[in-house]
Amino acid sequence: MSAPATMFQKIWDRHVVVKAPEGEELMFVDRSLVIEGAAFLGFDILRNSGRRVRKPLQNLAITDHYLPTLNRAAGLAGIANPDIRRVIELHEMNARDFGLEHIDMHHPLQGISHVIAAELGLAQPGLLLTCNDSHTATSGAMGCIAMPVGGGNQLSHVLATQTVWQKRPKAMRIVIDGAIGRGVVSKDVILAVMAKVGIGGGAGHAFEYAGSAIRAMSMEARLTVCNMSVEAGAKIGMIAPDDTTYQYLNGRRYAPQGAEWDKALTFWRTLPSDEDACFDREVHLNVGDLAPMVSWGTSPEDSAPITARVPDPATYATPEQRSRVTRALEYMRLTPGTPLTDIAVDRAFIGSCTNSRMEDLRAAAAVLKGRRVVVPAMISPGSTSIKHQAEAEGLDRIFIDAGFEWRDSSCSMCNGSNGDIVAPGERSASTTNRNFEGRQGPGALTHMMSPPMVAAAAVTGRLTDVRTL
Amino acid sequence: MKPFTVLTAVAAPLDVAKIDTGMIMPGRFNRKYRRPGHPDYAEGFLHDLRFDSSDKPRTDFVLNRPAYQGAEILVTAADFGCGSSRETAAYAVLDYGLRALIGVSFGDIFVGNCLQNGILVVAQPQAVIDTLWKQLGERPGATITIDLEKQSLVAPNGERHTFDIDPTRKQRLLLGLDDIGVTMQYAAELEAFENRHRREMTWLAPII
Repeated sequence: MSAPATMFQKIWDRHVVVKAPEGEELMFVDRSLVIEGAAFLGFDILRNSGRRVRKPLQNLAITDHYLPTLNRAAGLAGIANPDIRRVIELHEMNARDFGLEHIDMHHPLQGISHVIAAELGLAQPGLLLTCNDSHTATSGAMGCIAMPVGGGNQLSHVLATQTVWQKRPKAMRIVIDGAIGRGVVSKDVILAVMAKVGIGGGAGHAFEYAGSAIRAMSMEARLTVCNMSVEAGAKIGMIAPDDTTYQYLNGRRYAPQGAEWDKALTFWRTLPSDEDACFDREVHLNVGDLAPMVSWGTSPEDSAPITARVPDPATYATPEQRSRVTRALEYMRLTPGTPLTDIAVDRAFIGSCTNSRMEDLRAAAAVLKGRRVVVPAMISPGSTSIKHQAEAEGLDRIFIDAGFEWRDSSCSMCNGSNGDIVAPGERSASTTNRNFEGRQGPGALTHMMSPPMVAAAAVTGRLTDVRTL
Repeated sequence: MKPFTVLTAVAAPLDVAKIDTGMIMPGRFNRKYRRPGHPDYAEGFLHDLRFDSSDKPRTDFVLNRPAYQGAEILVTAADFGCGSSRETAAYAVLDYGLRALIGVSFGDIFVGNCLQNGILVVAQPQAVIDTLWKQLGERPGATITIDLEKQSLVAPNGERHTFDIDPTRKQRLLLGLDDIGVTMQYAAELEAFENRHRREMTWLAPII
């Protein structure tokens, strides 16, 4: 009998090519997703050193951040900004030059990389997957190690060798128990985790989310949870595979079939952490009484139940915290003590790799049905397939009738890299994952929340407890 | 990659917590092409802290003060480089002319990106950072010496502090070694690993 091991340990150990007594280990990468971002840096390193991609069939190029959400049919010609056009062109050229399959702007499988990784069944239990984007941990919800790499050196290393040097993180288990109430969804759970763990609280750790609340979640809800691991400083966030995972995966494009499926399933069932496995850290949360959460500040940990008030910096323990929160409230133009439900918003956005899947759209549509928004609002589905599915279900009509703009799929207003930005000083209710200064555009004021909460804010024009509608 | 051995350079104090990679390299600069070998990302580095909304230098910002011109070391507050994984943030640090960051804590991904670009990242307790800020504030333009081999730094007042660094990273920084070159020394191990891995996970189809 081998010693009891965590799921993280089991998968990590299986991917160590060169074990170092101390320091970093050389890790094998089963699959790598290469988004356009700054990937041109990585490709240029290869080009300038005369290197090639070692295993092109284990790498997939995807364009997601810079795609327009309007007028997609016009292609590159429809993009006014020359910098954006150039990034898209460079990715096209690099994928072609280095022999990578490319899900480009007109591809039928187009979507946000972290959305389509699960949707296509690229992310599977037991794999090690990398992508040059910090929200790569999303796919860890499928029971794999999914971790971000830098777009320059690290990406060029993955492409040239199909490996990555990594220091083994410590294992941290976040146990979430309790049955969440009506109007509360997985986004609220992860915002509560952020508020508890803090922005740097997970640094150097790989998270495993466990507990009855996680077990009860659908696959899509779990993807939302793992997505925000990096907001607590962890590069890796995982959830043990179970029947929910297998049912979700079965039949997807890259999922194994027939006898191979059975073989894989036997292996996958060995992956969950052993009962007496030891974690370096444990955090417990009960979400039985959790209210819908909203962020009020400029760091993902700055979130509170919608029933709370804007906090007073004076109540924070250290001078550093007090000065940071004071600065955050100044930036957010908020006064301590204001009830969160008194905060008026100027616009609403539903989308991003955190909250743009079918369940997110359905939950928002359920709130919007028969109502009208009072502020500008837009929605960008996580993939073109999701967009089509939503249209088949008639959700697009609900959004459009409520006054939402029904856009194409892209990272869009989450970070505004494609030009979809929140104007300076505008306050946005957003389903996104970051509320840093300027994240949605210079001077933009972001309040993060769940899709039904964004829908509620859009129809009332204020941060609103969706349970009261 | 340029080797990092001993550096004596002007250090600038930056007492702002949670400067994320989006502040280090704002998105609109992030999408500009960087010509290989050109410091094109210097412009983006901490742009919105260095310049106001009409692109005029903020004269009160530390890096704009004459005494700190040519600084190659930045002494930072907690969570410097948290947030998005953009490696352009590390390139921006490099292109601006910095060779080392000394701070309370750093974003994990950002540290990896810095080390791979030849930028040394040194974590120190808040108390040490406080005294460095104080000395650098009182004597603008003062220098700090960092000796990577000895894992030590010498403050302007002569006080010596030690720091930890991953041994593999240290070796590569000292020699200026590129990771791909190091990895290819393990080509045989990698082949053997792949053959075994493929046999064990036969269900993994190629991405096509």
